[in-house]
Amino acid sequence: MSDASRPEVQSRHPAVMTFLRDHITYIIFGLVTLYFVFTAPSFATIGTAEAILRITAIVSIMAVGMTFVIIAAEIDLSVGSMASLSGMVGALILQAGFGWIPAILLTLAFGAVVGAFSGLLVTWLRIPSFLVTLGMLSILSGIALTITGTRPVPIVSSDFTKTLWDGSFAGVPVPIIWTAVVAIVGFYLLHLTPLGKRVFATGGNVVAARFSGVRTDRIKLFAFILSGFTASLAGLILAARSTAGNPSLGAGLELDVIAAVIIGGTSLFGGRGSIIGSVVGAIFIGIVGFGLLVMGFSTSIQEIIKGAIIIGAVALARR
Amino acid sequence: MPAGNEPIDAAAPPLVEMRNIVKRFGDVEVLRDVSFDVRPGEVHALLGGNGAGKSTLMKILMGVHRTDGGRIFVDGEEVTPTDVGTSLSRGVAMIFQELSLLPNLSVAENIFFGREPLRAGFRIDRRAVRERARELLADHGFAIPVDAEVENLPFAQRQVVEIVRAASFGARVLIMDEPTSALTAREEEKLFELIEHLTKRGNGIVYISHRMGEIMRVADRITILRDGRSSTPIPIAEARIEKISEQMSSTARTVEQVDQPEHSIVRRSVSGTPALRLRNFSTARTLDNIDLTVMPGEIVGIAGLVGSGRSTLCKAIAGLIPDARGLIEIGGQAIRPGKPHAVLGKGIGFVPEDRRLEGLVIDHALETNIALPNLRRVTGGSLGVVRRSRVRELFEYGTRGLALVARGPLQPAGELSGGNQQKVVVAKWLASRPRLLILDEPTAGVDIRAKADMGAALRRAVREEGLGILLVNSELDEMVTLCDRILILERGRLTGSAPARIEPAQLQALLLGGNTETIERRKTQ
Repeated sequence: MSDASRPEVQSRHPAVMTFLRDHITYIIFGLVTLYFVFTAPSFATIGTAEAILRITAIVSIMAVGMTFVIIAAEIDLSVGSMASLSGMVGALILQAGFGWIPAILLTLAFGAVVGAFSGLLVTWLRIPSFLVTLGMLSILSGIALTITGTRPVPIVSSDFTKTLWDGSFAGVPVPIIWTAVVAIVGFYLLHLTPLGKRVFATGGNVVAARFSGVRTDRIKLFAFILSGFTASLAGLILAARSTAGNPSLGAGLELDVIAAVIIGGTSLFGGRGSIIGSVVGAIFIGIVGFGLLVMGFSTSIQEIIKGAIIIGAVALARR
Repeated sequence: MPAGNEPIDAAAPPLVEMRNIVKRFGDVEVLRDVSFDVRPGEVHALLGGNGAGKSTLMKILMGVHRTDGGRIFVDGEEVTPTDVGTSLSRGVAMIFQELSLLPNLSVAENIFFGREPLRAGFRIDRRAVRERARELLADHGFAIPVDAEVENLPFAQRQVVEIVRAASFGARVLIMDEPTSALTAREEEKLFELIEHLTKRGNGIVYISHRMGEIMRVADRITILRDGRSSTPIPIAEARIEKISEQMSSTARTVEQVDQPEHSIVRRSVSGTPALRLRNFSTARTLDNIDLTVMPGEIVGIAGLVGSGRSTLCKAIAGLIPDARGLIEIGGQAIRPGKPHAVLGKGIGFVPEDRRLEGLVIDHALETNIALPNLRRVTGGSLGVVRRSRVRELFEYGTRGLALVARGPLQPAGELSGGNQQKVVVAKWLASRPRLLILDEPTAGVDIRAKADMGAALRRAVREEGLGILLVNSELDEMVTLCDRILILERGRLTGSAPARIEPAQLQALLLGGNTETIERRKTQ
């Protein structure tokens, strides 16, 4: 990553080299996909693509919120538990007799409030976000398990499951639609608005941002609210998929989400990253998992290979 | 005050002698020909303006930097300082401005850190550590609790612990760099007593300070560094403040003067709303009832020594000191102090002291940095989208006249030279069209050409747009040429203003001579 060698390289192969260096993960992504296309049986079909995107929707949506948090140089480890708990909350609200629309809206509001709580602990009490959200991970999953004594809550509303998982809109399955909507809104906020520029500045140099009139605490708070919001949306989709709120449905998802964001080129130190990268990272993780599954690897071997690919991709992408 | 007044035995061999030292950083010759020595039992003061090379000289002695010429003797024996450890073992120790104690350990543990007395089985003999630490401190006349953790001690006591620690290591030459900058008057007295105590035992002290009053009081000889050369040491009895100020202020006024034909006075529009008005403006620890007005089209300088609160004043106006109290008006509108977002980019621009840490996001593109305080200005459309073309326009607007040397607006700020980085910080605030621009040491580490470029751009903004400027600069000749008025800040209070058309040397004397009473007393002894 020597900056000094940069201009030289650029002068020889200006556009191509820069592109390759900046998008090395996309290249690995392409190569891995090609490998599966040629070796895995009947991999290259619309059906496969659809299935992967559907599975990936949950991680992709959470990755959008997480991207804001990580670019602001913080971390949110609680998203997996947040998803579990949101699924439970949504299912309980439905069970209490509310309609599916209030159930969804209330759950999303709940997610935002919990995100705000983490954000306030980080910005007011100056507790590192790693610790705050590690604690929240435990607290939220504990609550999810406690409210029904670890029993899942069945969801009978077909409107709910149709809207979030089973249905399709203009021929496209709804989870993919939701992913696209969240990614587009996230892209707009992060890359096009002043708010997004302030998120980048806050993560790039929090002092310089403050010295430029940016309310860095509010920016961080916003990132946590967004992360809580997207995690609870993902939790609702998870619940719709299994037609039940299940208190351990989202366990461990935070690792896939963070991996997706980092593979997508977002710096764990903040100040650099993109929404598209995170979504691509999530899809990449989905393809690796699905490809290995189709090739007949056992889930335990899959985990090992997935982990190795993630480390390799990030190692190569580091600048 | 008898410290240092005993006649020095000139025949005694110096503890440390540096002869004809030369030091280059790249192409820049920082030290050309510097000679300096410390005799047993003396306090030798080292004076010089910012960047005169005082710290570099001492770092050479400590083995942090290598020389490019010259010879160094310790106890008459020629040595080549290569690392700090060897210098320490030769008896040369430096008391750092930022203290090098371990804050989470106790006073006793710090004093004996790395050479704790042991008991059988390699266990640290805690009782011996405490007792010997207590003895050492008492020996120097201090009763600091040895079990207290260093982070809970007031600054002055930490400094004492550091000095005692160095002396107990067998240091015979102690280098003190601005030792009083964070001390109260009473703590200063204790420090001077400690110094006297040390010199009586034959230790030598190198005393670096800007405060002439205390130098006249503790020093036996004075050496002045200027333009990389050292003066002949002046015995304190022959020292005169006016002469020393003259010798200190650099005569090397070169390129920057070329671009400054028009002197700034006259164009001040004394009528109208002030760009900035402060009334009874204070902070909890530093500033004390500051009253200050900056008119549009006026450049006001704040002159003061290190530790006078110059940077705190700048930060407090920018809202960056949360406990600031008092009235701030920007363009006639009262602002609540302590809210940076309420002022920065909304009438006030602030070029902070440390451009890499405080001024720039160095990984981000130049135009991104310039857009940061101006984001509301670059959006368009019903969706409030940041328009690339407007960001580019703002970049062009902000950097015009600054002669920025960069590959383009998308180059990361970190790749630029120091001077060009500073231009970017200035540009981002000029682009915000402030009523008031606060500049804290804007030319530190900036080359002459870049200084001239920035000076020209700032003067134009002042002349054409009625910008008001509040300037803090240790380079007094720059202050004198740039400012319409210069106010003197002394220990958090504005104590007066420099007369119009003052010479840098006179201003220097005014700052150094702050405590004239002490000097008079000293002279009559």
